[in-house]
Amino acid sequence: MNRWTAVIAHELLCTMRERLPQVLLAVFVGMVAASAFIGSSARASVTGVYSEAVRQGLTTVPNPFDSLSPLYYARNSVIYIVLIGALLAIVVGVYSTLRDRQARTMDLVLSRDVRPSFYLSAKLAGLGLFTALLLAVSAVISIACISVVAGRIISVDDGARLVGLYAVAWLFILPFLCLGMLAGLYATSVTSALLIPIVVWSVTIFILPLLGTAAHPVSLLNPVASPPAIQSGFFAVTSNLVNPLSLGEHFKHAGALILADPQATGTVTTSIWTILAFAIAACVAVIMTRRGRMRSALHD
Amino acid sequence: MTEILTLARKEITDLRRNRFMVVLFAFLAVAVVLSVIVASADFRLKIADYQHYVDALKAAGSSATAPEPSLFPLQMLRGGIEYLEIIGSLFAVVLGYSMITKEKGRGTLALLFSRPLGRYAFIGGKILAVVLLWVSTVAALFLVITASLLVIGNAPLHGGDYVHLFFAAAHTAVYLIMWSLLAMSLASLIRRTGTGLVLALVLWLVVVLIIPQIGDTMDPDNQIPGGLFASLQVDKSHEQAVMAHFTGYETTRDLIEQTSVTKQYERATFAYLGIKNEYNQQPLSFIWAGTFNNTLWLLAALAASVSTAMLSGTKKIILRKVS
Repeated sequence: MNRWTAVIAHELLCTMRERLPQVLLAVFVGMVAASAFIGSSARASVTGVYSEAVRQGLTTVPNPFDSLSPLYYARNSVIYIVLIGALLAIVVGVYSTLRDRQARTMDLVLSRDVRPSFYLSAKLAGLGLFTALLLAVSAVISIACISVVAGRIISVDDGARLVGLYAVAWLFILPFLCLGMLAGLYATSVTSALLIPIVVWSVTIFILPLLGTAAHPVSLLNPVASPPAIQSGFFAVTSNLVNPLSLGEHFKHAGALILADPQATGTVTTSIWTILAFAIAACVAVIMTRRGRMRSALHD
Repeated sequence: MTEILTLARKEITDLRRNRFMVVLFAFLAVAVVLSVIVASADFRLKIADYQHYVDALKAAGSSATAPEPSLFPLQMLRGGIEYLEIIGSLFAVVLGYSMITKEKGRGTLALLFSRPLGRYAFIGGKILAVVLLWVSTVAALFLVITASLLVIGNAPLHGGDYVHLFFAAAHTAVYLIMWSLLAMSLASLIRRTGTGLVLALVLWLVVVLIIPQIGDTMDPDNQIPGGLFASLQVDKSHEQAVMAHFTGYETTRDLIEQTSVTKQYERATFAYLGIKNEYNQQPLSFIWAGTFNNTLWLLAALAASVSTAMLSGTKKIILRKVS
């Protein structure tokens, strides 16, 4: 085992041993599994409402849920990745770097012939592998649950789309993982290390979209595609400013297109490039952290 | 009683000196003001669109008229209230948690308990400080909100509007105090600094985001952009006739939502501010009749959190965990 794999293996072991990320992990995997059943219940109710409206002679329009793909049942998973997956990544990242600072193992590691960038890259690779494994398990659970709800094994094309969604989810989670690691490296206390990235997350997910589209914060929890930004007056300026930074909205947009949501429009390319740019920038920020910062003491 | 007042005064002095907490409260105020700015810009756009529509009708020689968009100033607070329910509760968790962990971190717990304090004096002082802090913070936030409505929103407020704002503020204070006390209880009960905070955050995630999200997603009208009934061209009166056939499903959905105290807070506050159309411009008695159960649930949650904080904040429990 070389130094690179040793750090990765150690990071995986420590992360899996932490009880608290395990709680979030259980909530995340449980909600991914539940999302198919929530989707099924919503679809059944819409079909029932539509049939009742037709029976009462109130509508002549076709059922909007006719010929819907089984991927509809995965729509809620996108929201759970934005909410729980990102928070899980933050907590895992914070614990990873805080652990070293609290136990003062960073001093010991850096006393060896190890460059800070090498050590942090290996830690990041370990955490990246952990989240990739987590998302792979979630993808398998999602495919199984959707197959149960749809009453048949989903097609190869639908399966590939789900795998694609979780691959983009990994890219989306990566900046939050790095944000957590950075908070763990720079914060002066455990409380602020956990709180600061969560505040950044809440701004990215809830405040930026409001500025660009006037969408209400709670409506952002709904998997239905958000209305397009208004391109006039106040919103023409704000949407151009905040749209590139609304990481959550980019992921939701990419997710809706990958899941073949008929209400989603546009292309997936811009969203994926934006998410990728954030992921790369965040990884670089972690790797560039200076030796002195890594060895700084905590105040609680 | 003197001990409780002394401890509460010390807590408030500590919090006033804590720049991190001051920044968080300022951030909350900025978020709420931003939501008013956005709502006001959105309304101006609607007025502009309406004016263009009327001009186009006139140019075409049509005598048809369209109803002008009505401004209900308190409805502009929807985004702000949602920020208070999501981000405000998050800060309340951090505030409550840090009030116990700071004593553990500084090693002042043992010192405090070496004094001849009454059994509930320590936690009583903390609870009183939380109550005073949130009441004054929420009062300040609602003053900012009112000023934003008047200045940025250019919205005329009447006497009744101030009363409705007062009730919304009272619900907000109760809601935020409840979250702080809940986090304080977890901090007292759990030994590791980060563990209790993450547990409190998991609880926050489930109650504030996940349960309301499930209820919201199960709403048939939320399945299509713009609403299912609008896409089916079914009006409000017929919508109720259709939904009358789905009472079992709606009751289940409602029960899921009601398990979240956030939803109880939201329903009551939205009613007092007229954000929910059926309560808009209605007298207080009408709103109370429709939402008293939400208010009572919120108060029950507050009573439960006060009791838990009192029981978990005794010398025996806190020092047992520290040692």
